[in-house]
Amino acid sequence: NWFWRPSPARGEITRKPTVCALCEGGCGVQARLVDGKRAILLEGNPNHPVNQGGICALGAAGLQFLYAPYRIAQPLKQTKRRGDPTGFQPIAWNEAVGELAKKLGQMRADGKPNGLAGITRRRCSSMDALLNQFFAAYGSPNLFKMPAHADSLKLAGAVTTGREAPFGCNIEDAPYILSFGAGLVEGWGSPGRMQAAFRRWRQGGKSAAKIVQVDSRCSTTAAMADRWIAVPPGTEAALALGIAHLMVKDKLYDAEFMADRVFGFEDWTDSQGKNHKGFKFLVQTDAYTPEAISKLTGVDPAKIRELAKEFGTQKGAVAVWGQPQGSVPKDMYNELSFLALNALKGNIKAGGAIGLAPEVPLGALPELPGDPSALKGLKQLRLDLASSQKGPPPVLPGNNLHGFLDAVSNGGKYPIEVMLVHEANPAYGLCENKLFQQALTKIGTLVSLSSYMDETAQQADLILPIHTAFEGFDDVIGIPGAPYAYYGVCAPVLKPHLNTKAAGDIVMSVAKQLGGSIAAALPWASHEEYLKKRAEGLAASARGALADKKGVELWKLQPEEAVKPNYKDGADLWKKLAGGACWYDAPVDPLKDLKTESGKFELAAQLLLAKGQTGDDDQVYLPHFSQVPPRGSDKDYPLLLVTYQMSALADRDLANPPFMTKTVFDFILRQNDQFVEINPATASELGMAEGDSAVLKTPQGEVPVRVHLYAGARPKVVYLAQGLGHKAYDEYIKDKGVNANGVVEVQLDRVTGLGTVWAARAHLRRA
Amino acid sequence: MSDTGHSEGKLRYGMVIDLDKCTGCMACSVACQAENNISFRADESNKLRSITWMEIYHLNNGKGYPDYQFAYLPRPCMHCDAPHHSPCTFVCPVNATTRDERNGLVTHIYPRCIGCRYCMVACPYHARDFNWWDPAWPKPMESMLSPEVSPRMRGVVEKCTFCSHRMMKARSKAYLDKADLEAVEYTPACAEACPTKAITFGNIRDANSEVGKLIKDPRAFRILAKLHTEPKVYYLSGHEWVRKQADNVVKG
Repeated sequence: NWFWRPSPARGEITRKPTVCALCEGGCGVQARLVDGKRAILLEGNPNHPVNQGGICALGAAGLQFLYAPYRIAQPLKQTKRRGDPTGFQPIAWNEAVGELAKKLGQMRADGKPNGLAGITRRRCSSMDALLNQFFAAYGSPNLFKMPAHADSLKLAGAVTTGREAPFGCNIEDAPYILSFGAGLVEGWGSPGRMQAAFRRWRQGGKSAAKIVQVDSRCSTTAAMADRWIAVPPGTEAALALGIAHLMVKDKLYDAEFMADRVFGFEDWTDSQGKNHKGFKFLVQTDAYTPEAISKLTGVDPAKIRELAKEFGTQKGAVAVWGQPQGSVPKDMYNELSFLALNALKGNIKAGGAIGLAPEVPLGALPELPGDPSALKGLKQLRLDLASSQKGPPPVLPGNNLHGFLDAVSNGGKYPIEVMLVHEANPAYGLCENKLFQQALTKIGTLVSLSSYMDETAQQADLILPIHTAFEGFDDVIGIPGAPYAYYGVCAPVLKPHLNTKAAGDIVMSVAKQLGGSIAAALPWASHEEYLKKRAEGLAASARGALADKKGVELWKLQPEEAVKPNYKDGADLWKKLAGGACWYDAPVDPLKDLKTESGKFELAAQLLLAKGQTGDDDQVYLPHFSQVPPRGSDKDYPLLLVTYQMSALADRDLANPPFMTKTVFDFILRQNDQFVEINPATASELGMAEGDSAVLKTPQGEVPVRVHLYAGARPKVVYLAQGLGHKAYDEYIKDKGVNANGVVEVQLDRVTGLGTVWAARAHLRRA
Repeated sequence: MSDTGHSEGKLRYGMVIDLDKCTGCMACSVACQAENNISFRADESNKLRSITWMEIYHLNNGKGYPDYQFAYLPRPCMHCDAPHHSPCTFVCPVNATTRDERNGLVTHIYPRCIGCRYCMVACPYHARDFNWWDPAWPKPMESMLSPEVSPRMRGVVEKCTFCSHRMMKARSKAYLDKADLEAVEYTPACAEACPTKAITFGNIRDANSEVGKLIKDPRAFRILAKLHTEPKVYYLSGHEWVRKQADNVVKG
């Protein structure tokens, strides 16, 4: 044998199924183990209905997170200045938790529980409910999630149906998919689901589904689509309304549906008796004629007519939108425009392609006793709403993390003394991430619940390291973008090899130490027991069934279909869930029990009127196209910067594992240099050639890049891949490329206040 | 004995990759790395030095915006079936790389390899990589090395084996079950991982197998077919511009 070459220890090979928690996609995976002690590979679980045996690159490389050198091995306390890596000293678990509990107890005694804030990434897990419970019992309204498309989709659900649930699409069976920039094959919420869907669409060399991709860049979805419609960035919604114009004009819409179930298509009268124009009138105005839309989008009027005819006449055609990993909310009127196009098609009804994500009837958490100290804190408005803002406040405020951080850094109404960051890396992954950095200077103590020494953990004052999903119990509730109900449990595949704890257990032990009503609100002995109780509640609902063998076709489920439970009781359900099987239930009828004022699907949003949305004309209540130009002037910044996600680059909260970095093309990353894509014509105008070094400047900042000439790039637009440019972790990740989040521009949506991103003005000069 | 002087059976493992289904997600390449203990370094951007058994190429139609189109092409070892020898086995001075004529797998025996890299020069597909450095995994990542595949040492060449260790396992099982060894089926890690099932694997000599049928598809082609290396990896594409590039047609 060669001593410089490792000899992996032999042993019995076994497989342990579980659900992957690296993203929210809910794929079934199985870990291959040696003697039950070492995990060597993550494979797709062939019996799982979401990914049907396939796996994505992140999943296949997933164990590199488990065995990452940048895992945090024990609780750490910063003893020097914040951010000094030499200042971290190991601290015992009981000391670390005790210190946090003492601090929180003091804040409550001082009557300032609202000084606690939190950010979590795990929006679709029971950890989210647990944190909500903890914050409510403690008395702080300041719990946020890392931004996602679901934030704005949920509010669009509230506006149109009165239910704050995101929309889902039965995309697997759609014969015609008109995609407005949706990164379908790049992932679209659940990479496993979308790849399995793509396999159905392309069975046997035939196109079972026609895909038309509207996109400014030749993305992978655009390349794999049957047709690519190139438009300038940010004008997708204009094209959607242009198509809606023609469908209305040529009577290609579902007239019966619009008449019976939709409010605001025709002109309408509000509760004050005031008359308003309807969508039918607005969309027929000159602003949306093929000629006007052609001016905006550069798409030939004849082509727009052809698209409208195809979409309008093809049975089952559906319009979809949203980014690959769904990590950025969209402008409310964008959401409403795409929904309007689907409404015209009659897609938003039982049996239609678009539905509202059903609730998973998991066991409820204990009711809060209404403790006076907590109520005092909760009476305080959330910091972003309490503090003075530039411009009018949003009428329908959502998960406004950007607004909150802005308020903190500008000295909001009250100070934030403790910030908990759970499984998130806002210091790197938040768009315009310097906002987090600025807010941090005003925050007393940053507590990180993280598995990895990421950019955020590096800034922490106290680090409470948590298990990865392969070592502890966790769960996934619902699949982003899917219309059916889903629940999966991530069971540990092996024992933890570091001195870490489950995040839930940490929160529970803090609650126990705080005692009283807080301890009573989180009564479970462990995170595992908490999840078991949740599953028992699910069993008690006597709804849904388990998919524990091949052949369960979730997309075939009919709305409101009675799925016969195939589990005995709570204990049986838990056993099977922990064994890797997932629970599912039929989609709901999106028009059942509509909670809108009209009792119909509201194209004209009376909710916005009720909340006091004002504007010059009636279009503020209707889907319409408007675009807020990015900051800066054309003269200083003649180009636009658009960032994009790749399936082979992890972004936001996870670092790219080395296996995936190996697959990154050398025209995206070479040594530590990242390339931007520009059109060859733009390059020649700038006097640049392939591989030239350049400086990319936006009003948000500037970064060194190199230039890649890409004919799939729109002229005058610069494209930058997300997921590189880390300043933490190890030599396999650190300092490679640039962080796109540092140069993008966040625009706060006028309706919801959510931080949306479409483009930034940019300048590219030779370095 | 066949007319080439080798004993040949009815078994020839081969692969069909449907490029119309390949979304460039890189799962095959990553699964291959994990399955086969492929080493990695801090900088993997020099593709001439990077070890990748399953490498993904980015092809385009050469047109401008907005008529531009691209496709991904995953490239494992072609396990060339040219009569008598594959290009690499032909040049190996120490018989480190040979073709198993019972099943067509081109193998590489690392302890025999003297690192002369003739095989790398001979391979028209750039399917072979050289270990310029000692393989080193950051602690504790050695824990995820598979005991089923031996890690390679500095100074030897390596390449895709069609996951021959999986084949050996399947053969052993068939032997114990007293089943027909020429009917052994198995799936390499890349085909298993592929979430769109773009990769199909099996016996291409069996006209009734899935691969046997797919290689008759009018979309089927092989790379550099004109060299008569007889690759056992077939591709499918509905795009003529993709099929054309397979034979490296010089523009003009």
